[in-house]
Amino acid sequence: MSLMSNSRVTALELMAAKIRRNVLDICMQRGGYAGQGVALADIAACLYFDEMRADDAGWFHDRFVLSNGHDAIMTYGALAEHGSYSMVDLRTYNADGTKVDQSPIEGQLGFEITAGSLGQGPSQAAGIAWGERMKGNDKRIYCLFSDGELQEGNVWEAAMFAAHQKLSNLVYIIDNNDLQATSRTQDVLAVEPVPEKFTAFGCAARRVNGNSITDILDAFAEAKTVKDRPFVMVCDTRIFAGIDCLQAALPAAHYVAKHQADWNAGLAEINRKITELEGQADGS
Amino acid sequence: MLLADGPVIHPAPFDEISFDLCSRRKDVVMMSADLSKYCQIIRVKNELPDQHLDVGMAEQNLISVAAGVSKAGFVPVATTFACYATRRAYDQMMICMGTGPLTGIVLGFTPGIANPARIHHQAAEDLGMVRAIPNTTVIDPMDVTEFQQAMNVAVDTPGLVYMRGHRGDTPRLLDPETYRFELGRTYQLVEGSGIGIVATGHATQWALQASAILTEKGVAHSLLHVPTLKPVNEREIADFCFAHNAVVTVENHQIVTGLGSLVTEIVSDIGGGPKITRIGIPNQWAPGGTLAHIRAELGLDAETLASRIEGAVS
Repeated sequence: MSLMSNSRVTALELMAAKIRRNVLDICMQRGGYAGQGVALADIAACLYFDEMRADDAGWFHDRFVLSNGHDAIMTYGALAEHGSYSMVDLRTYNADGTKVDQSPIEGQLGFEITAGSLGQGPSQAAGIAWGERMKGNDKRIYCLFSDGELQEGNVWEAAMFAAHQKLSNLVYIIDNNDLQATSRTQDVLAVEPVPEKFTAFGCAARRVNGNSITDILDAFAEAKTVKDRPFVMVCDTRIFAGIDCLQAALPAAHYVAKHQADWNAGLAEINRKITELEGQADGS
Repeated sequence: MLLADGPVIHPAPFDEISFDLCSRRKDVVMMSADLSKYCQIIRVKNELPDQHLDVGMAEQNLISVAAGVSKAGFVPVATTFACYATRRAYDQMMICMGTGPLTGIVLGFTPGIANPARIHHQAAEDLGMVRAIPNTTVIDPMDVTEFQQAMNVAVDTPGLVYMRGHRGDTPRLLDPETYRFELGRTYQLVEGSGIGIVATGHATQWALQASAILTEKGVAHSLLHVPTLKPVNEREIADFCFAHNAVVTVENHQIVTGLGSLVTEIVSDIGGGPKITRIGIPNQWAPGGTLAHIRAELGLDAETLASRIEGAVS
């Protein structure tokens, strides 16, 4: 924890708040997966702006594999801050004819795989991790998937394979938000206890507060100490975590249509948070 | 002359092909879902272990890990039985391997009735399934020569390549000195007039047997071998069909969605073409047992096949 300075944490909290603002700005145009994007902002801030190393070309040395297309909104919110997408382009999300796919296809900037058919990211990330290790590269591979995807058998095939191959360059990040397409995950088909299941499959796993910058950073640091198996971060999150008024209004919104949310109230709240954090950052 | 003088039987064709390929191409990875022994990938597994990756008995994992391996700069060759590749992992094939530009090969062994275990091990619909995936390459090689040459082409072909494999005693019918596999080309193995036979894969072997009988009986015919079902050479197939009085397609596949359907689509799009008779696996479960037995049961043995082809003119 000694490496975790206040300024580092505050800077990432500020980045997370800006990602949340971007998510609202994008989704208020035509609707979208706003609740997931907001809730995953802390993970995105830590992943894109602290954990993954930069390469010489202004991109990332490490590789991120998004398994669930819905959560692309998180990546868009983050890559807007990275400068690799403009907000003008991102505001076309969900528009007919846009190049900013709501659920992107392999090859779009920031997206390694076609991710709309769920449960297929963990195996592909494991294949990348196997290949990068075989080439002698030090790249680390991060794969985000959701608790709902744990109901797909392909995920567990991947976990067995990754553990068997001792892929310590692979980190699985689970968006454990207890929500899937139609209802709460625990009501549709319970997946808990998630860390214990991955441990039983031969991975190292821990539960993480997915909305705590310090806990996320601590988990990423711990992952690097594990040398003989993949690391699984079971990140407990809840839809719209980080924007109280929207979370109170839409606690179980898998998808938010344009007319469903008071976007301006959400923006006002996150803008106040940004101002507050900017004050803290200046003072630190 | 594309055909060799006499067939030489290779007992384990892919063992030679995979070892030769991996020895030359260090970026090729032979992947398996616990069927290396049954797809005859022995030497690579034992002698080039860095180029062999077993994902366990999990075909969805096989295909999705393969997609990842390609994204790390390797050329994966995902091997399993055709029934498992297509039926158990079709979505992974289409979405994980089929939507990007990187080369990835899926090899489906014991396709059609080339497996003694009925129904669950017999992929009679794999070609139809994969040729419905946009931008995919689909190859059904007829013998050892073509299998080897098509593999060499596949590893340099962008995107998903689905190929049917041969295992066990497999003839070398095409002369490696004169035959050159090219993607999208068709090959006229018997020149003639009257009945135009179009065949692919294992069924080209059967069609050659029937052709010998027809020649002996003096029945005028030609034989066109179509190894590449996608991207298909519509022009060459159309020219062949319209040059004959009747067309018969022969395939180791259901008579819907495979070669017969493909030829029918091409001729129908033009209109006014010859009658097309589709021979293959009918709309029923094929029996199990030896290939000779199954062929006889389905009227695909050489004698019956020749009679059915001859009867197609009337």
